[in-house]
Amino acid sequence: MIEMENKASNIQIWQYITAILLIFLLGYHLLQRVPWLFNVSTFDQTLTSAFVYNQYKEAGWALLLLAWVALFHGLNGVRGMLFELHQGKTYNTIINVLFWLVFIVFAAIAALTIVKLPAY
Amino acid sequence: MSDDEKFRSLEMENRQGFWKASLNPWLIRAKNNPERVAFVLHRVTGFIIIAFLLAHILETDSPVWSQYAPINGLSGWAAWTYIMGIESAWWARLGEWIVAGAVLFHALNGFRLLLTEFFGLGIGKPVEPKPPYEAPTLNAPQRTWLYIEFVVALVLWAFSAFLIFG
Repeated sequence: MIEMENKASNIQIWQYITAILLIFLLGYHLLQRVPWLFNVSTFDQTLTSAFVYNQYKEAGWALLLLAWVALFHGLNGVRGMLFELHQGKTYNTIINVLFWLVFIVFAAIAALTIVKLPAY
Repeated sequence: MSDDEKFRSLEMENRQGFWKASLNPWLIRAKNNPERVAFVLHRVTGFIIIAFLLAHILETDSPVWSQYAPINGLSGWAAWTYIMGIESAWWARLGEWIVAGAVLFHALNGFRLLLTEFFGLGIGKPVEPKPPYEAPTLNAPQRTWLYIEFVVALVLWAFSAFLIFG
């Protein structure tokens, strides 16, 4: 019997929930790269150390939330596709463990960016 | 080719296959089936985005990790500036533009999927199936949204080229 957390329907519902969050979080992040909104003239000027540092200081929590939600959405999407490919007790366990492992490692790296970011 | 063979061939072309449907959209014939095109592109762009996202998280953490593993002797924000210098090369910008296109299509198509699949909007009312068994959803507003989505994604992708290469 397939365990509850492996059900495709649950995986898909999480995709929808994270997608709704991503509309706002990613929308905000993309706007951060539009130069005219910040009185600079080029895309490259939105990527300078000072500019990026200020954006982290202003709303680093939103960027961290974006990283976590986007990671979950992306990895969960791959997990769903891998379950479409094949199903089995060992296989499912391996996919689920890999999913959480990659998620936790990259979520921790994203958190470190906020916590340990050096001053500009 | 007999009708039976034709049907089987068509059925096989549209059968969901992991590699075929996920990684190589050029292998799939999708005549008169824009939903299929959107489905395949959603997966292809999803793979592009997840690959970029993992690299992007490492890249944005570079001011932190470079303090322990300097790049060319550079650490902290100097390492960030060095990486941005590499990313200003034409090939890196081209990559950014491809990612931008993937994000724009994936986001717009995802929004359509949210409306139709999650909220049940734009798919019409259920009807009794009658020959030739055309799905009523294919004539519902969601298909119009799909065409609008393709156009908007292309326009925004062109705009992103102006931003990235301009």
